[in-house]
Amino acid sequence: MDTLTQKALDYTLGVLPKEESLLFEAMLEENDEARNSLAQAQEDCANLALSSKPKSLGKEVRSRILENCQPSLCFDSFLSSESIQKLHRNFSRQDERYQGGGGCVPLKEIQSLQVQDELYQLYEDLLVLSPLVAGDSNAAAGDMSGLQKVLHKSPSFSQSVDSLLSHSIEDDRPVAQSVQRSLLSSMPSLSFFSDRLKGDSFAMGDVRRLFYLCRDQLKIMRASFGDIDPPRLVEDEKLRLHSAGLLKTKWWGAEHAYFSSQGKVRCGHFFDGPVTERCVEFAEYDANMYCLANLLSPRSANGEFHMELIKDAVPDCILAIAKAETKKEKHEEIEEIVHGINPLNPPFQNDQVLWNLIEESMTRAHQHASLSELREACLFGCQRMENSTYLWFAWPAIENAHDGAEA
Amino acid sequence: MQKIENEVWERIHNGDISAFEELYDGFAKVMFSLSIEILGDRWEAEEVIQDIFSILWKKPEAYSPAKGKFSSWLLVLTRNRSIDRYRSRKRRLDRGETDEILSSRPDQMDKNGAEKATASDEHEHLHRAFTHLPEEQRRVIELSYFKGMNQQEIAKRLDLSLGTVKSRTRLAIEKLRNSLSTLRL
Repeated sequence: MDTLTQKALDYTLGVLPKEESLLFEAMLEENDEARNSLAQAQEDCANLALSSKPKSLGKEVRSRILENCQPSLCFDSFLSSESIQKLHRNFSRQDERYQGGGGCVPLKEIQSLQVQDELYQLYEDLLVLSPLVAGDSNAAAGDMSGLQKVLHKSPSFSQSVDSLLSHSIEDDRPVAQSVQRSLLSSMPSLSFFSDRLKGDSFAMGDVRRLFYLCRDQLKIMRASFGDIDPPRLVEDEKLRLHSAGLLKTKWWGAEHAYFSSQGKVRCGHFFDGPVTERCVEFAEYDANMYCLANLLSPRSANGEFHMELIKDAVPDCILAIAKAETKKEKHEEIEEIVHGINPLNPPFQNDQVLWNLIEESMTRAHQHASLSELREACLFGCQRMENSTYLWFAWPAIENAHDGAEA
Repeated sequence: MQKIENEVWERIHNGDISAFEELYDGFAKVMFSLSIEILGDRWEAEEVIQDIFSILWKKPEAYSPAKGKFSSWLLVLTRNRSIDRYRSRKRRLDRGETDEILSSRPDQMDKNGAEKATASDEHEHLHRAFTHLPEEQRRVIELSYFKGMNQQEIAKRLDLSLGTVKSRTRLAIEKLRNSLSTLRL
């Protein structure tokens, strides 16, 4: 193979050293022979691409991709609202950025041994489930038999959650919150999809959704209970940037469920760049996002809600926003929850817990201020604009990406 | 063919969603097949395809006719993005990370699952041609094209001279090119 042809092939395959690549690109500008060689190399590589085993793509991938072509929702009026302007005036960079892990307690500190055992068993069951829904699993290739066999085992994930929620957790606040975070953030949706995959009326997208939920739930549980899986927690605590893309992939066009209610997620404004610095921080951030979705999704007027991550609308801050069209009475329900009015009202007790989990997480992320100061500064909140409810929380942005590996 | 492809790209450039749908229906499957061949993971391959279509819609100027045939460019992009992901996963495994999913995954799994393969003649023909390449040529192509290794790395891995790696690559590529030209006659 002559040098130019070889160069064009190496360039196409991305294995030409950088300096030689630059020289080759310069040749492309003025040399027909170089351009022809490149076109031939690309065509040869395209032939190689066609030698791969043909695989089918699910219909839901097409609809996700086409949905992304829709114009993004405009958040300008929300971002210029009084609450966000107030946040703008009050948000300040801290000397030491929070990197997660602050909500971690030992599992053995839970007073009830039964709750300890059930939580540990739940974690173990999820470890078994994980590879069965991974992208290289038989289920991902369309063979559901192995997955369904495991899902039909008793108790189901929903039964485990119901059983755990039936215990009254009277431990101290951090312990109770770790239990609640483990049961009420990603777990309700996970239970829903695992139940649906037991039957016949599921889509391939459900396997994918269950994969992400399972991965998140395991990380949330490890970040909540330090002794549930110490070797993996060590990995979760290493410096490793987590990008907004990981969240976008998961939420983009997803179906979301919170117990019996279901909703469709839309995204349009996820920025490019890192959101968290360690897995334990990502788990906490993730749990907060699930809490927003769980609060808003059941109250959406049309079954849809938006999840967005906006950076730099407020300097040094990443805004997580959930927005949905709501009826007035549903918005008022959320307002009551956000303002802690009637916190023991039975139908909304779990919803109150969801908001409290976000509030507690915010006090860890912004340690310079008290909860009431953070609330007053609008670092999190709820507001209604043009028949829509907006919920948000502000997280400290990462100033300079360090040398940590990327997740 | 190239004229039709460039026309589709022009329409996408002008924000014509029906052209974007045509492109998806015509190319997504082959892009996905390539990506999953490299990654061995359906969810990761779907992410690669989503990202590429997202770029195409939001920044269609990423391609220009000066870069060659649109379809070839798309497949090169798919291959290179999949290789990037493959390398990044490999780095994580090499660092000994104990991700519960990663640690359960062999390098590339062969599936006996219920994957239903339906393919165009061309796709099927090239797949057959590839499997019929002499083993030593196929191995070199697998390592270079599907695993992203450069020629020095392949030479070291297979204990061959650099010249042998180059000649096997050339022979394999020429055979596939000839095989396709026979089909197109």
